[in-house]
Formats: sequence, C-alpha cells, structure tokens
Amino acid sequence: MSITKFDAVNIGDTLGPQEIFLSKDQVRTYARTCGMDVPRFTDDEGARSEGLPGMITPGNMSMGLLATLIDGWAGPGGLRRLGTTFRGLVLPGRTIRLCGAVTQKDEAARTVELDVWLESDEGERLVVGTASVELK
Amino acid sequence: MAVDYDPALIGRVFEVTDPVSVSAEAIGKYCAAIGETNPLYIEEAAAKRGPYRTIVAPPSFAVTFRNGRHFFTHVPRFGSAGFDAGKDVEFVTPIRAGDKITLSSHVKEIYEKTGRSGSMVFVVVRSTVRNQNGEVVAHIDHRFMNRP
Repeated sequence: MSITKFDAVNIGDTLGPQEIFLSKDQVRTYARTCGMDVPRFTDDEGARSEGLPGMITPGNMSMGLLATLIDGWAGPGGLRRLGTTFRGLVLPGRTIRLCGAVTQKDEAARTVELDVWLESDEGERLVVGTASVELK
Repeated sequence: MAVDYDPALIGRVFEVTDPVSVSAEAIGKYCAAIGETNPLYIEEAAAKRGPYRTIVAPPSFAVTFRNGRHFFTHVPRFGSAGFDAGKDVEFVTPIRAGDKITLSSHVKEIYEKTGRSGSMVFVVVRSTVRNQNGEVVAHIDHRFMNRP
C-alpha cells in the first residue's frame, strides 16, 4: 500500500477511479451489519412496495466506500472531513466507480481538499462530496 | 411557504444514547462489509505495530451508530416520504477496539428548498460521537429530506 506524501501532490491529481461490482449480497451484508436491516436495503420486492425501482444502497455505505478510497490514498488518520450529498439512487447489482481529484493544497496546514464522487457505469454522479485530508 | 415547526426544537439535545461497546470483531465485520482490507483495521499484529498500537476502526465506522428510539420525538417529520440527503462528517480521533461509544444529538436547522421536483424540507441533525473518556470522536451533520 502506498501512502501519498504531501510534497508529491499536485492540484488535479486523481484518486481512483476504482471500479467495483456492487453486489446485492454485499449491500445486504452492510445493511445487516450496520443496523439498517430494512426492506429498501435488503429486498427488491420490499423496496418496490415503497415506490423504489428495487433495493438501494444505504447512503452511509456509499459514503463508507468513498471514505475507503480516500483512506487508501491518504493513509489511516489522514481523513479530517468528508461531506457527501446523495443525489441519485445507487442500485446494487451493477458496476460503480469511486473517483476523486485534488482541488486545493494548503502548504501551511499540509492539507489538501478533494472532490470525490461515486458514479454509475454510465458516468452519472450519484453521490458527490468534498473532503479535507492531512498528509505527511 | 414557510415551514411550520416548533422553534424550541432547534438546539435541544436529545437523550444521550446508551453506550455501544466496539469490539475488534465488530470492526472486522464492518471492514468486510465495506471492502476495507487495510491490516491496521483488521489484523491485531499489524495494528500493534501501527500508529495506534491497537485495532482502530476505519473513519466511516463513526456514522454507523444510531440515535435510537428517541429520535423521532425530537426530529419533526414533514410529509410521509423522507430520505437521507447527505452527511458532513468531521473526524476528530479514531474509534479504538474496546471503546464505548455514545451519541448526543440536536436539530441544527430546518429549511425549505424548491427544486425541479417540487418543495422539499430539510432537517439537519448534528450528532456528536464520543468515547468512554468523553473525547469527541466525530461530529456528524445529517441532512434528512422530506416532501411535504
């Protein structure tokens, strides 16, 4: 695992894209592990009865996946802040991509600002966010 | 249209939740669910050699703690359909295996927005996550969207 060094970072550097197939089983496991065991996150039929197209991924899980991308890039302890907006439904059983880019660099604080997003295989940004990261 | 709610709700802190014990096993299960494989979070030997000298949770574990049964006595609902619109999290210190975690929360603000699909009411709940020593682990601003 390579941890990013502050001095080596430039504005415009990218994180990922990390492509993953998000399976329904993985989403069910997350929901059950995290006390979110409700039909919209575990069962297609139950989700449809709530007016959804099928089971959806909890926002917390999408956020967790983005945090994992950042954490792998910055190293443990580096992530100071992460803000996310859940814009679209993240439907499991499909490929998604976790992406990020460096937007600012603060030399005095040795922190960088990131744009991060989770996009569908078609490139639609379903979850968008910003993060502040401290680098060594 | 102004949103109708009791202004006394804003800033009133809910009951602090009962402490939840965090085991290394629970952290391991969370890592498996999220696809996190860093040994510092899942292998005791690697964690002991690492910066925290013990297994810690990945940062996003902080958002998995629940407000519990009191939540909707403090958080107003507007209309029937509500969903999670987003979160802003400030990570202060890691959660360590063995920690006992509590949440104290309050409604930070309520506002209305009109978008392409009509009117929406947002309720922002701020939760402070603490460990057994009273240290702040994280601050979480959670935005709920309701359609009146």
